[in-house]
Amino acid sequence: MLWAALLPILLAAPVPGVLAQTEKTPQELRTADDEFSRQLSELKRTFADLSKKFEDSAQTIDRLSDAQSARKEIEELRNDIGKLLGAVADNGTVWSLGSKALSHADEKLKSLEQETRYKQEDRQFLIDRWRELKESTEAAIKELEGARREFAELLRKLQTSEDFIDELLQIREHQRALDVIHTLTDGIRDASEKLKKLLGTIKTPGA
Amino acid sequence: MRSLSAGPACALLAMGLASCSIESGTGYIEIKSIPPSPQVALYLDTVKLDPLRNGNALLRHRVGVSKLQTEGEGGYLAVLCSIDVKKNRITSVTVSATSRAPRCQCARTGGTDATGSRTCIG
Repeated sequence: MLWAALLPILLAAPVPGVLAQTEKTPQELRTADDEFSRQLSELKRTFADLSKKFEDSAQTIDRLSDAQSARKEIEELRNDIGKLLGAVADNGTVWSLGSKALSHADEKLKSLEQETRYKQEDRQFLIDRWRELKESTEAAIKELEGARREFAELLRKLQTSEDFIDELLQIREHQRALDVIHTLTDGIRDASEKLKKLLGTIKTPGA
Repeated sequence: MRSLSAGPACALLAMGLASCSIESGTGYIEIKSIPPSPQVALYLDTVKLDPLRNGNALLRHRVGVSKLQTEGEGGYLAVLCSIDVKKNRITSVTVSATSRAPRCQCARTGGTDATGSRTCIG
């Protein structure tokens, strides 16, 4: 009975090794490029939501006079940043799609350079379009690299502060803990500003 | 009969799903290398890592202890250190490959295990 219940789940789950070895059709490759643009747009929306949340959290933390509640607020913030970092990590969804899209553009350029079927100007048109796509994908990846650095730095700052706050609470230094928490709000506001800047710079390839 | 067999099965499935949610936490491993493009292949447990870009990688990884390994002489995997990944935290480790045998440097060390391998914590 248990197997009967689990079977549909197991069948629906992708098998990584098998998928990796399957040859990609042009349609699938096109989908990978589109998927990168789609996920990037989705990520930008999340950036906007998170930027707002950072500002709200900074305000909340500023008002809190209870170190335990503030610590909980930091923990929640860490959770949100963790999700974003997950997307832009080296083995994250958006990053992997970006790398695939870039490899695809490289392969297309190489094959078009050797293409003999089309007229010279038609071939050049396709090459120029792929070059543009490659450049915009590279630019998006570079921005994502910047985002990863910022998120990692903020997450590190939050986890170090949280550890210090925990140490202070262990020796019942509540006021000192609160001071650290309030100082942290500058870092959170700074992150919100950086996120807003990123929103303006990341361009979706092909858009 | 049917309800008797379905009951424990559902309970087992529920337990399984509950344990899935407990285990589903992820954290991050930051690996830096000195020099930035070392000639050593790195493995996280048994998974070979892509070469580090600019000597830096940030990987999402399931919560728990994993082993950072490198290919030793004869092709076997030699443990450099253990990495303890905690939920939504970054564990940083630097792989120094300036000498003949690569070494692990933890940003924070949690101690050494029974085999003498050090554990990096986040």
